[in-house]
Amino acid sequence: MRNLIGKSVAIGAIAALALTATACGSGRDGDSGGSKGDTKGFAADSLIGVALPSKTSENWVLAGDLFTNGLKEAGFKSDVQYAGASTTVADQQAQITAMVTKGAKVIVIGATDAAQLSTQVAAAHAAGAKVIAYDRLITNTPDLDYYVAFDNFKVGQLQGQALLDGMKAKKPNGPYNIELFSGSPDDNNAGVFFNGAMSVLKPEIDKGNVVVASKQTDVKQTAIQGWKAEGAQARMDQLLTSTYGNKELDGVLSPNDTLARAIITSIKGAGKPVPVVSGQDSEVESVKSIMAGEQYMTINKDTRNLVKQTIAMVKALQAGNTPEVNDTKSYNNGSKVVDTYLLPPVAVTKANAAEAYANDPKLAPLTK
Amino acid sequence: MSRLKDLQKNLFGGTTSNARQFGMIFTLVAIIVLFQILTDGLTLRSDNLIALFNQNSYILILAIGMLMVIVAGHIDLSVGSIAAFTGILVAKSMAEWSLPWPVAILFGLAIGAIIGAWQGFWVAYIGVPAFIVTLAGMLLFRGGNQFIGNANTIPVPEGFRVIGSGFLPEAGPDTGYNNLTLLLGLAACVAVVWREFQARKTRREMDADPAPMWVSVLRMAVMVGAIVFASLRFASGRVGTSFPVSGIILVALILIYSFYTRNTAGGRHIYAVGGNSRAAELSGVKLKRVNFFVMMNMAVLAALAGMIFVARSAASGPQDGNGWELDAIAAVFIGGAAVAGGIGTISGSIVGGLVMAVLNNGLQLLGVGTDRVQIIKGLVLLLAVAIDVYNKSQGRFSVIGSITRSFRRDTPTPPTSSSDAEREPARTAVSG
Repeated sequence: MRNLIGKSVAIGAIAALALTATACGSGRDGDSGGSKGDTKGFAADSLIGVALPSKTSENWVLAGDLFTNGLKEAGFKSDVQYAGASTTVADQQAQITAMVTKGAKVIVIGATDAAQLSTQVAAAHAAGAKVIAYDRLITNTPDLDYYVAFDNFKVGQLQGQALLDGMKAKKPNGPYNIELFSGSPDDNNAGVFFNGAMSVLKPEIDKGNVVVASKQTDVKQTAIQGWKAEGAQARMDQLLTSTYGNKELDGVLSPNDTLARAIITSIKGAGKPVPVVSGQDSEVESVKSIMAGEQYMTINKDTRNLVKQTIAMVKALQAGNTPEVNDTKSYNNGSKVVDTYLLPPVAVTKANAAEAYANDPKLAPLTK
Repeated sequence: MSRLKDLQKNLFGGTTSNARQFGMIFTLVAIIVLFQILTDGLTLRSDNLIALFNQNSYILILAIGMLMVIVAGHIDLSVGSIAAFTGILVAKSMAEWSLPWPVAILFGLAIGAIIGAWQGFWVAYIGVPAFIVTLAGMLLFRGGNQFIGNANTIPVPEGFRVIGSGFLPEAGPDTGYNNLTLLLGLAACVAVVWREFQARKTRREMDADPAPMWVSVLRMAVMVGAIVFASLRFASGRVGTSFPVSGIILVALILIYSFYTRNTAGGRHIYAVGGNSRAAELSGVKLKRVNFFVMMNMAVLAALAGMIFVARSAASGPQDGNGWELDAIAAVFIGGAAVAGGIGTISGSIVGGLVMAVLNNGLQLLGVGTDRVQIIKGLVLLLAVAIDVYNKSQGRFSVIGSITRSFRRDTPTPPTSSSDAEREPARTAVSG
């Protein structure tokens, strides 16, 4: 008797499972196959997801604010997320997945690790969302739609050129001793900056006009994991001890401002005169440093323009148009050549700072 | 009145530690319901449930191993680094030696076993505290990852990605659902029912008092209902998706390790060592062998977790494994394990891990930033353990226990059910 009740419950449950499974044949909730070839745009108040790396530089924080406000002005709903400080990649993966779940139509991604997002980008694509890689090219995925960035090779070239100009201005004749730093090896851009800079420096090094005194010229030796300031400071400390006991250091190629300041801190800590140091990103502290005559140069990649351009692309997609691109050849992510819009960077030294930052409410007052 | 007593005795196993476990499950359900309402139904949508498992299976796999380590009275801080180290080696082995991916997985597990043997040797045979050995391991294998990978990100081939982001194939007639997922659900239902009857039969044979029929039916109905609901959810995602492969690996591991820790002498020895290592040793437990085993087992599971993450990310990167040890440890403690060792269950840890996972996922769906998510998770961890500790210091084991205490007779309920003994590890007598 007891057994009977239990068995009938079990059988009932199994029957219910089978029934519900077959009865409502339209169980699948996703539109099968996604909306491929759908170029008719989407609702003007759709959700736009923005996934950015952890808040390690002012730039990302600023970009996040600009996206939040810009997308709101354009009439979209926005979801702007930063990866956490320690578990960056996993966080970003989860955030992108959450955006897909929420039905975002376009997902803008500033990747923490450019090669570890292909599963999520594929999921977004399958759900019919467009994916725009912001500032960092996402690699190893055929599902990336667009890439928008500053011309990073040009950034490197400007850094290299400014380094040469700056050293010449301080000391008319070489040979000049320099050291090289490059960014995080998991950031696709780091290598591009470095190659750009080396395209200018290499001829001078070959001529013997410029000397890398530590002989550390390989990108593996110069890389700073995670763009971490303490990494750059530690490496500079070691270079000073190992190489510059009785030599003069004339210049340091630094890929960005955060590292540039860390390098300068290290050099000042060792009681040496500050050499010509390059930078990038126009961070507040670095602009102050340039005006004070310490850091030599930075690159102005106005985040405002980049965000503006990205939002313009989102708007074009919303209207069902193809976003404007200006490079359809150079950016191969390993699976396909990605349509790209490149913005031009500007080199800034003390001489042209006032002019370069005239439109920047935060930086303009610093240059007066 | 007597029904309540019946329910308490039989559904929660009658013991307070089971009541606590029930409390955790209740918390989990409450959080799910809360987010289901707050996110307008996104939380329980099939694609989100699938994503939830895909995102967290590697952490939950770590939690299984970590539970055993913590029950044995140790800790393992090196799991994230071991995962990253294995990940890069496996990725390289496929990229540079063109190892076929199934071989590469075995290779990865072997690396885990070797690393585990190394750490187990220091902990068990030299007697260096596990905290120190694994702190060293954390540095050692993180460095190893960077040394081998040159801090590069190395992609892995399509076939390998199945273990992290793969799904069951679509098979059979078009039912509007993923048929294999439904079959899995069906198998689980049958297993639940079979197990219940098996348990009743055993108790009758042992002349023990079996639980009233209505309790058994209720228990089965709840579980079968949950399974039916879950399998329909998982089966009704986008075409091409199903219950994820990583989730299947996880469930298989949960079943195997639950059985091992509850029903085998080897598993009970871990609890004995954690409860009182001296007493355990005097009772004939091979202390060193148990310690060696838990450390080695943890490393193998860490290697597996690392490979699943790499497969899901489609590449092995230098940031892999950062902070994983903390997630796994948090899951174990939220799931009711004791800091001093000797107490804790696999299922509790999984529920603890799921509480964190659902919290994380729900907050992300609401668009809460990672900064605030971390604050909330930190508070949840602290509160969960604090409530437990406070209740113990008050002489009552759980909130539920204290609420229902007034209903209870003073006559102590003898631990009749076999699951009592299983779930009260500290009191268990150790057999040979």
